[in-house]
Amino acid sequence: MLPLSSPYPATAAARRTLVHHSISLLQSTGPFAATRSLSSSAGAPRPPRPLLSRARLCWTANGSGPAHHRFRAYHSYDHPAPAGPFNEAEEAILAAAYRQVPEHGFSPEALAIGAREAGYLDISTNLLADGPFSLIRWHLVKQREALAARKTVLFPDGATIDNKPVSVSAKVEALTWERLLGNVDIVGRWQEALAMMAQPSCVPASLKELATLADEILFLAGDVAVDSTWYTKRASLSAIYVGADLFMTTDQSPGFQHTHMFLRRRLTEATDVGNAAGSVREWISFTASAGINMLRSKGMRI
Amino acid sequence: MATAAARPAVLLRRAAALKRGVAAACPEHVQLSRSFSAAHQAQSQSQRASATNPDYAIPNPSRPTHFGFETVTEAEKRERVAGVFTNVAESYDRMNDMMSFGWHRVWKDYFVSSLNPGFSPLTSGPDPRVPQHILDIAGGTGDIAFRMLHTAHAVNGNPDVRVTISDINPAMLSVGKQRSRTLPASQQAALSFVEANAEDLTKTKPLGMSLSPTTPTSPPVNNSTTATSSIPDNSIDLYTVAFGIRNFSNIPAALREAYRVLKPGGVFACLEFSKADKYPILNALYKEWSFRAIPLIGQLVAGDRDSYQYLVESIERFPSQEEFRDMIADAGFVVSGANGGYEDLTGGVAAIHKGMKPRDA
Repeated sequence: MLPLSSPYPATAAARRTLVHHSISLLQSTGPFAATRSLSSSAGAPRPPRPLLSRARLCWTANGSGPAHHRFRAYHSYDHPAPAGPFNEAEEAILAAAYRQVPEHGFSPEALAIGAREAGYLDISTNLLADGPFSLIRWHLVKQREALAARKTVLFPDGATIDNKPVSVSAKVEALTWERLLGNVDIVGRWQEALAMMAQPSCVPASLKELATLADEILFLAGDVAVDSTWYTKRASLSAIYVGADLFMTTDQSPGFQHTHMFLRRRLTEATDVGNAAGSVREWISFTASAGINMLRSKGMRI
Repeated sequence: MATAAARPAVLLRRAAALKRGVAAACPEHVQLSRSFSAAHQAQSQSQRASATNPDYAIPNPSRPTHFGFETVTEAEKRERVAGVFTNVAESYDRMNDMMSFGWHRVWKDYFVSSLNPGFSPLTSGPDPRVPQHILDIAGGTGDIAFRMLHTAHAVNGNPDVRVTISDINPAMLSVGKQRSRTLPASQQAALSFVEANAEDLTKTKPLGMSLSPTTPTSPPVNNSTTATSSIPDNSIDLYTVAFGIRNFSNIPAALREAYRVLKPGGVFACLEFSKADKYPILNALYKEWSFRAIPLIGQLVAGDRDSYQYLVESIERFPSQEEFRDMIADAGFVVSGANGGYEDLTGGVAAIHKGMKPRDA
């Protein structure tokens, strides 16, 4: 039986986030060192993003890669990151094909040219399970993975704005903007890609990728919430990102300034709505508990 | 007390049933596990040189395998499968339509269009269309081959795509040959028929004039690949096998042979019945249909219950999607990481497996 006063959240996901929570606290503020040993029983600290071994990326000998470990919607320090969705040969074809996207779009042509450049045959593109959608997925995955490296450039240790540490929301905005800038090279083809992502067979994979992106941004921004806002933050950031993504495809302003302003407005609105919702919730819970207490004071057995 | 007394009897019966089941399943399990470990060893010994054939890759006529739910030797299975398909050749298409409500056409169309044979990117400079050689194994009646030719020649406008139909069974091949006469002449010219065992493609026999003496118009096979009696190493762009591989006596040997004949970068593609376990209701209906209705339809329409009983049982005995995927990877193919290397059709009643021969093979 789990004691009711257990300091740990009940779900595994929340617990792991707690680990990350306490570790990031450890990294930022020394005195929490003790918390870490409480929550992580694994002993030696693990690197935050373990490098994937070649063996796991390249699926050959006995196909040991468990498919169900290939997607996870949260960051964990206790479990190695799932292998990427592409094996070595796919990486080679897709990397070459991606260079063709500005000219040929996310299309079978781009894939076939990429396969030729990588030294394969036209027919070899059949290795890619989803055809041109694989190319879109490649773009999404690579841009997302690039964010982790950009984070250290954007916010070096001890970075401040107005002599205050950079707030989580400022980091979220900067990282989201950074991710949107990742679309600049192929923005002329991005509407086609969005159309393909909206096809029924591609929707689940696209949504998963979106959820992973929102999680990545919030994780890199240092968001440590373990309550229900874990979900609402990710949901609202996903919605805002999709909006800004769409906006960007028609944005003609230099440097995509309009998209940047659009993104800022949406994020501010989300904060406002979040604050309003929080206030409403606080008012409701206060009123409810006051009401119950009043009834109790009248002798009602509640 | 009565129930307690009854229990030992029930247990005994269960144990006996279990024992029977194990005994029946055993030979295959032994063979499978041995082939996997052999493949493992072969792989760990650095390069898979063709000189180091693991033992399972050499067809052994006396090795046990399964024929439907029976256990027979490989040689016996070959004979009995030949018997089945000689029996059903004439009514094969009609039966397929009746058994699958015509749905097998949808699967085959999808299979071929997803492979997109003959597709070449439009680039500037010289004609970018590259010749392709497709080998359709167990393709007797030409269902896949004719679709391939249509996609390559008519849709993708690449007339340099040739298809070789190979089948172990001359009866099925002559049905295909007959049907191919309705194709456009250019497509007929790109077709060739060979009789071969997919486990050993070094010995192929072109479907001789003796079988179809009335076709002087059909041009002689004009390429070295099929004129000789062997399909050379690294010569095929696309190897397809649709609803055939489960009838092979030795699937790993056939996969290795596919690996041998494919060019580096060439694609192995297999359309086969599979497991619909993910959808229990669909699976229950499907099992009911296949075990009760199909042998009956076979009896009524083709007058041959046993052949169709075999078809159903062989589907049941074929490995699951994941097991078969692993067999393909064991043969040295690279399989896609994104979807686990296979694609389910109709909830897994059929599945498409694809593998690519690596470039540095």
